[in-house]
Amino acid sequence: MSEAYFPVGPGLGMEENFLSLDDILMSQEKLPGRAESALPRLAVLMGQGASSAESVPEGSKLEIPLWLAKGLHDSKRRIISVELPKIYKEAWRTVFSADANVVDLHKMGPYYYGFGSQLLNFENPENPEIAQTILQTFVARFRRIMDSSQNAYNEDTSALVARLDELERALFQVGQKGLNDFQCWEKGQASQITASSLVQNYGKRKLTEVDG
Amino acid sequence: MEPAEVEFLAEKELVTIVPNFSLDRIHLIGGDLGPFNPGLPVEVPVWLAINLKQRQKCRLIPPEWMDVGKLEEIRDQERKEDTFTPMPSPYYMELTKLLLNYASDNIPRADEIRTLVKDTWDTRMAKLRLSADSFVRQQEAHAKLDNLTLMEINSTGTFLTQALDHMYKLRTNLQPGEGSHSQEF
Repeated sequence: MSEAYFPVGPGLGMEENFLSLDDILMSQEKLPGRAESALPRLAVLMGQGASSAESVPEGSKLEIPLWLAKGLHDSKRRIISVELPKIYKEAWRTVFSADANVVDLHKMGPYYYGFGSQLLNFENPENPEIAQTILQTFVARFRRIMDSSQNAYNEDTSALVARLDELERALFQVGQKGLNDFQCWEKGQASQITASSLVQNYGKRKLTEVDG
Repeated sequence: MEPAEVEFLAEKELVTIVPNFSLDRIHLIGGDLGPFNPGLPVEVPVWLAINLKQRQKCRLIPPEWMDVGKLEEIRDQERKEDTFTPMPSPYYMELTKLLLNYASDNIPRADEIRTLVKDTWDTRMAKLRLSADSFVRQQEAHAKLDNLTLMEINSTGTFLTQALDHMYKLRTNLQPGEGSHSQEF
């Protein structure tokens, strides 16, 4: 009720939320893939050629953003085929199941959970394991996020959030907000009247003269 | 819900005061209050008690659970048990803060009381986090916690419900369902 606007959250399932900024940023992440058929005159777009007349030969490796991969993916007309990025592959999956807390999820692609959920859209025999790994990782890291967000009051939290991906960072903010609200109430600041941040910005703009 | 809203709800609780003025019975929408006679104790809601105290028209009598011995007992029992012990008042945190801020001269050993209540609060919050963690880790469908007060629920509520939302969505990924909807040309 005291917020100026409510942002739309990420979809986080197999469907994205069209209006969510997090989902839009997430779908810009790139996937490794291969061109299954020759793509005429698209070499420049794919970053592979210099002039607009070159085409991408069949079988060449490409890095495709997720939104493009989802659009071009079709099991009948084989235009491109996608592979899993390496953090969703077998080797990294065993790392996550061993101890999910040590992994730096921000470096691994700041949208691990969202991107992983989107990968389930492409038919792939490893899909159930990927889904299971993502869920287990979230469950294992939950404790640390809860503890660090509920106990860090008035401190510099950059060290704590450095290894979290975007979804976990949003959760961390929510936890911090709950803590800050409670502490602020306990100190008695909740009953002091302060100027709203929206109104404070009004004073900074100069009033322009309106010609009659 | 903000802590200030929970405090607003807590101000409906009744507390005993000794007024130094006299007034006939007053009829409010929520019920009748009074009559007020100097020197005779009367029960009023906390919002009125605080207001009268600020105008120096009354003396507050602390509730019978707000006593060092009793609070020590409660704190020790809280530390011993794994589940939540019933609290003497469903708004113990808010009442402590209000009464100790505005009427600490009427309450003996106010600082110790503040420390004891804070200790009990910390123990209960730690238990709440522990049970939330085991809830998520075992991916249970539902859990039941008795004897929680509104302020405790409110502090951890948003975080927990958001985390459970995420977990639910990630869990529905496991069942592919009717398949994704792709458009065929």
